Amino acid sequence: MSQPRSTGFLLTSPWILTFLLFWAFPVVYSLYMGFTDYRLLVEGYRWVGWENYRQLLSDPDFISSLKNTFIFVLGTIPVTTVIALALALLVNRQFKGRSLFRSAFFLPSITSMVVIALIFTSLYQRGGYVALLAEMVGQDPPVHGFLYDSGTALYSIMAMDVWMAVGYYMLIFLAGLKAIPDELYEAAEISGASSTRQFFSITLPLLRPVALFILVINCIKSFQVFVEVFVMTGGTFDTSTAVFFIFQEGLTGAFQIGYASAAAYVLFVLIAAFSALQFVLMRRRTGAW
Amino acid sequence: MRIATTVLFFAVLVLAQSAASETTLTWWQFWTDPTIRPVIASMVEEFEQANPDIKVELTDLTWSNGHEKIAIAFASGSGPDIVELGSDWIAQFAANNRLADISPDVAEELKEYDGWSMATYDDKIYGQPWILGTRVLFWNQDLLDRADLRDGFLPISWAHLDTASHRITDLGRDIYGWGSNTAEKHRLYKKFMPFFWSAGARVYTDSGGFCIVSSEPAVRALRFYKRLHDDCGYVANQRGIEDAFLDGKIGFIISGDWLLKRIEQEGHSLNFRTILIPGETQTEFKIGGRSFMGGEFLTINAASENKEAALKFVKFITSPENQLRFCKANKSANPSSKTAQSNDYFQNDPNLKTFIAQLNHAVHPPVDPDWVFIESELEKAVESVLFENAGPGAALLDARINIAKLKEK
Repeated sequence: MSQPRSTGFLLTSPWILTFLLFWAFPVVYSLYMGFTDYRLLVEGYRWVGWENYRQLLSDPDFISSLKNTFIFVLGTIPVTTVIALALALLVNRQFKGRSLFRSAFFLPSITSMVVIALIFTSLYQRGGYVALLAEMVGQDPPVHGFLYDSGTALYSIMAMDVWMAVGYYMLIFLAGLKAIPDELYEAAEISGASSTRQFFSITLPLLRPVALFILVINCIKSFQVFVEVFVMTGGTFDTSTAVFFIFQEGLTGAFQIGYASAAAYVLFVLIAAFSALQFVLMRRRTGAW
Repeated sequence: MRIATTVLFFAVLVLAQSAASETTLTWWQFWTDPTIRPVIASMVEEFEQANPDIKVELTDLTWSNGHEKIAIAFASGSGPDIVELGSDWIAQFAANNRLADISPDVAEELKEYDGWSMATYDDKIYGQPWILGTRVLFWNQDLLDRADLRDGFLPISWAHLDTASHRITDLGRDIYGWGSNTAEKHRLYKKFMPFFWSAGARVYTDSGGFCIVSSEPAVRALRFYKRLHDDCGYVANQRGIEDAFLDGKIGFIISGDWLLKRIEQEGHSLNFRTILIPGETQTEFKIGGRSFMGGEFLTINAASENKEAALKFVKFITSPENQLRFCKANKSANPSSKTAQSNDYFQNDPNLKTFIAQLNHAVHPPVDPDWVFIESELEKAVESVLFENAGPGAALLDARINIAKLKEK
């Protein structure tokens, strides 16, 4: 018995070592760092207890970045989920060019975020296509462009994010749709159930595990929004998010590793709480899975 | 056979001995542009040929993560022997004992180079000035002509700049008098500070070091900057402003020597001129404006075991001849060497000459390890005035209070 076990350890040891060294250790160490005043260039550090956490709660920049993160999460997740489901239902039907549409919708999610962010930066600028579109429908675009206005910058980034993400979640919904047995629909049709009734009584309940997966994954991803903000606005015009704040505090300027670690743990607790809430809510509706 | 073995043994011994006595310097630098990188490499080769006992390992950094990489390397004790640092970073590294004090080694060269004050912290010099950087005013002569500002019109004062910018803006749709930076971190304040300094404002008092960023001249400067921004501004990031300027849409922009390089490289036929930053009042016989000054410095790691060789290399790279080579290849207009500055290459080109002249009328931010915070507070103040219509006085007062709080800690 001992030989297979040791062989197993030996074979998995590269992964275990990598996990311990590059994942587990930084996670634990950053928790410790969050209770110190460690700055990268300063020799030595002091244990400051909860001081970093107290300071964070009164730091207007952190509060603002958390607010923006919540706007981002609450604004993009429902929209992304609904559009992804709608697209999945659409491309699940039989029609000519279906594969082309599937590929087209999925394409943005495999393109580099930086590339997409740069393209959208151009689209959103003064005199860009989005401004022209707004003028065509009788709306005055922001004078200096969508990304240079506190009222529109964050929402513009959110819109781009939704556009980019829907294809990926569409594919997951599509897999969920394929897993629903055709017999259920046949039985419903024989019973005279309308398409709407079939959707609400068969499709939606059976897609709930997939929906939960999408909600949790999208939630974690949205809480961690960074690249878009970094590339498109650099956190200006009220677009700084929690991860951007952590990056700024820890990896630029004064390199306040201790303070940034504390902020990272606040974000970690928020993501964990939000994910747990989603599990509870979904479980309450469906019973234990 | 025995003789051959003995010869081989001694040969190996000699080789090992020569390898052991060879010094290897590590140098981290930021110049990766294809026009300048080969010149850097050739300078290194020449140095190695002249100093066969010294080898130099060159590592390229990028502006996007260079600061972070240097900080992490120094913190982990694996920093290079020589590192190129921007002037804003020197105090931060010097205050934390990461850089070698080179004051005694450069005492005889103080008169030859400009920019020492940017590398001086606590009366000690921590970096050798290499390539400096300042900003001047660029204008589109065709737009000035269309706005009927001929007869040798020169924007030498704020009033001139204001009048000309408004008249150019009045030329019609999609034409702007002034290129105004959006809220870009580390850039916006560099555009405001020339007005701040030109009005006579300062960040700290000369004695006592009290923050005075909300002084009356500072408020006046921000009010004027806001007026240009609101009435005549084409607002974009630095690249966007320069694009629009090169497209002939903007009358005036403040920019650096990189724009000259871009105009030449991309073959733009723009009819442009450069002039010193205008002063607050008209001063025909006296230059009243003050521009922003920064620069690149070669610094030596305090923990380096090869300080002597490193200093030799730093002096070689920053020598007047090598600065001239560098500037010609990179189209840079701001060598720190005065000998290089007086070369015909700069003096015979009106635009390069403007930059050289501006160096003598430029101010650099205080050499302060907390400058990153101060800069951020100033940028927040300017941003809130330009984009959220905060009052200049109130915004600068907030900045002053926050900076004072930081200094109390």
